[in-house]
Amino acid sequence: MSAPPKPVPLTTVESTETSDSGAQTLTLSVGPQHSGSGHMRLIVEVDGDIIVNVAPDPGYVHRGIEKIIELRNIIKSIPVIERPSIIDSSNLNHAWVRSIEEIQGVEVPRRGQYLRTLLNEMNRIMSHLYWLSIYGVFLGHTTMFMWPLGDRELFIDMAEKLTGARITYSYLVPGGVRRDLPPGFAEEAVKRTEYFEKRLKEYDRIFFNNPLFTSRAKGIGVLSKEKAIELGCTGPTLRGSGVDADLRKDEPYAAYPELDFEVSTRPDGDSFSRAMVHMDEMRESCKIIRQIVKKIPAGPIRRKAPIVLPRGVAYGRVESARGECSFYLIGEGGDKPYRARYITGSYRNMAAIPAVLLGNRLADMPTAWWSIDYWPVEADR
Amino acid sequence: MSLSHEREDDLVQKLRENFPADIKETNIIRRGRLEVRVAPEKIKEVAVFLRDKLSFDHPNGVSAVDYNRENRFEIVYHISSMRIKEMRDLVLDLKESVPRNAPKVGSLVSVWSGVENYERESFEMFGIQFDGHPRLEKLFLTDNWDGPPPLRKDIRFPTD
Repeated sequence: MSAPPKPVPLTTVESTETSDSGAQTLTLSVGPQHSGSGHMRLIVEVDGDIIVNVAPDPGYVHRGIEKIIELRNIIKSIPVIERPSIIDSSNLNHAWVRSIEEIQGVEVPRRGQYLRTLLNEMNRIMSHLYWLSIYGVFLGHTTMFMWPLGDRELFIDMAEKLTGARITYSYLVPGGVRRDLPPGFAEEAVKRTEYFEKRLKEYDRIFFNNPLFTSRAKGIGVLSKEKAIELGCTGPTLRGSGVDADLRKDEPYAAYPELDFEVSTRPDGDSFSRAMVHMDEMRESCKIIRQIVKKIPAGPIRRKAPIVLPRGVAYGRVESARGECSFYLIGEGGDKPYRARYITGSYRNMAAIPAVLLGNRLADMPTAWWSIDYWPVEADR
Repeated sequence: MSLSHEREDDLVQKLRENFPADIKETNIIRRGRLEVRVAPEKIKEVAVFLRDKLSFDHPNGVSAVDYNRENRFEIVYHISSMRIKEMRDLVLDLKESVPRNAPKVGSLVSVWSGVENYERESFEMFGIQFDGHPRLEKLFLTDNWDGPPPLRKDIRFPTD
C-alpha cells in the first residue's frame, strides 16, 4: 500500500496534488460529521473519482474508557463498558464478566449461562438491524431505514421485560445475571421471532434481491480471505471473506455448546457477502432464541462472586455482533483491575476500511464502507 | 472440551528448541491461553517463526502495560491462528519488556500488518516508540493534545 495521505484541516475539499505518475489527485475529508452514523473521518485521496488512498482518522468519540476502568470498582465499570456500543451492550458486558470470572474462578450456573446467551442473541439481532437501517440510509433506501428500526422494537420490548432496560442493560454480572425470566416470556419470544423471520423474507424481497442494491453491492469493496486474516479482521467482515471463524463455535462459551446453529460464511468478500452474512446471522439468532426458551434448565441464575479481582491475568473474549470483543485483564488483588485492555470488533475491523475502499469509485464508498459495520464509538472506546 | 495442555506444551517446546536463548519465560495460563516472553531484540524473528512455521497468521490485538513500580513497560501481542481450525481457540501472548525511561522497540507491522493501529495506540497512550512503523502518529487523541501519554500509571485523573 502506498503511504497514507497527509492529514488535512477540518474543511471539506483540500489541495490538489500531482502524483508521481503525473495524475492530479484531490484529497477529500469525509466526516467527522457523520455521513450515516457515528463520528469519524476518512481522509480520501481520489484520482478522478477513483479512490487511490484512504486513511481512517478515528478518535472523535474517544472517551478513555481503559483509564476509567482502571480507576473503578469492577462492578461499577459494567455500565461504562456497555457505552461504546449501546446497540450491542450485552455482548460487550459478557466479555468483561467472562474475563473477571476467569480470574476469580467463578462458575456460572447453567440457567444463568442460558439467560446470558438469550440476551446476547437478542442483542445481535438488534445490532444487525441497526446496522441494516443505517445501510438503508447510506444507499438512499428509505424503507430499509424505517423497517429495521421498527422491527428492532420487537426485541427491545423483550429485552425490557427481561432486564428492565431497553438498551443498556447491565444485566450480566460476575457470577450470573441480575433477573430471571419473566412469566410468559417463552411464548412471547417464539411468537416474535417467528414473526420476525417472516419480516426477513420481506427484507429480502424489497432490498437484498433488489437490483438497486445488488448492482451496487456485488463485486464492490472486495476483501480477500488472506487479506482479511492478515489485517486481523473479525466477525461478519471475516466471515464475508470466506473464513468460518466464530468464537461461539471455535471457543464455545456460555450455553452455545448445547445449542444448534450454523456459522454463516460467504466466499466472495464483497459488500454483498458481508451484508448477507448479517442477514443469515439474524435468522440463526432467531433459531437460537427459540431453542433457549425451550431448553432452559431450572436452577439458580447467579452464584455469589467476590467484588475483588484476585491476582492473575485473563484474556476473555466473546463473539459480539461486530466480531471478537476482548479484555486483557490483569488483577492484583484489589477491587480495581491493574490493567484492562479493551479491544472491540469495530477496532479490529478498522484496518479493513482502506482495504475495501482502495480502487473503488467514490460513489461506491457508502456501500463498501458500511458493509464492514464499523461503529466509530465502539472503535474509539 | 478437553482440558489437556498437550498442544500448548508442544508449542512451547518448538519455540524453545528454535530460540533457546531468546525465550525468557513461558506460562500456560489455561488451555488455549499461552504467554511467551522474548528478548525485545529477537521478537521479530520469533514473530516470523510463529507466523510462518506455527501458522499464527491472525493478529488479535496489542496491549501495553505500565509496570511503573518495576520501571518497565510490557508490550503484549495477542495472536491466533485462522488457517488451522483446531487452533482457533488458542491465543498466544507474545510479550516483551522495555525500560520505562527508554521505551523503544521494533515494530511488527512488517510481520502482521494488522497490528499497525494497535501499535499507534500504544505509542500515543504510553509513549512507546515503535521502530520501523510506517505511520507512528496519534490515532485516537486529538492532534493538539500535548500532555503526557495518558494511560501511564503516574497520570492521574479525578476519580469518584
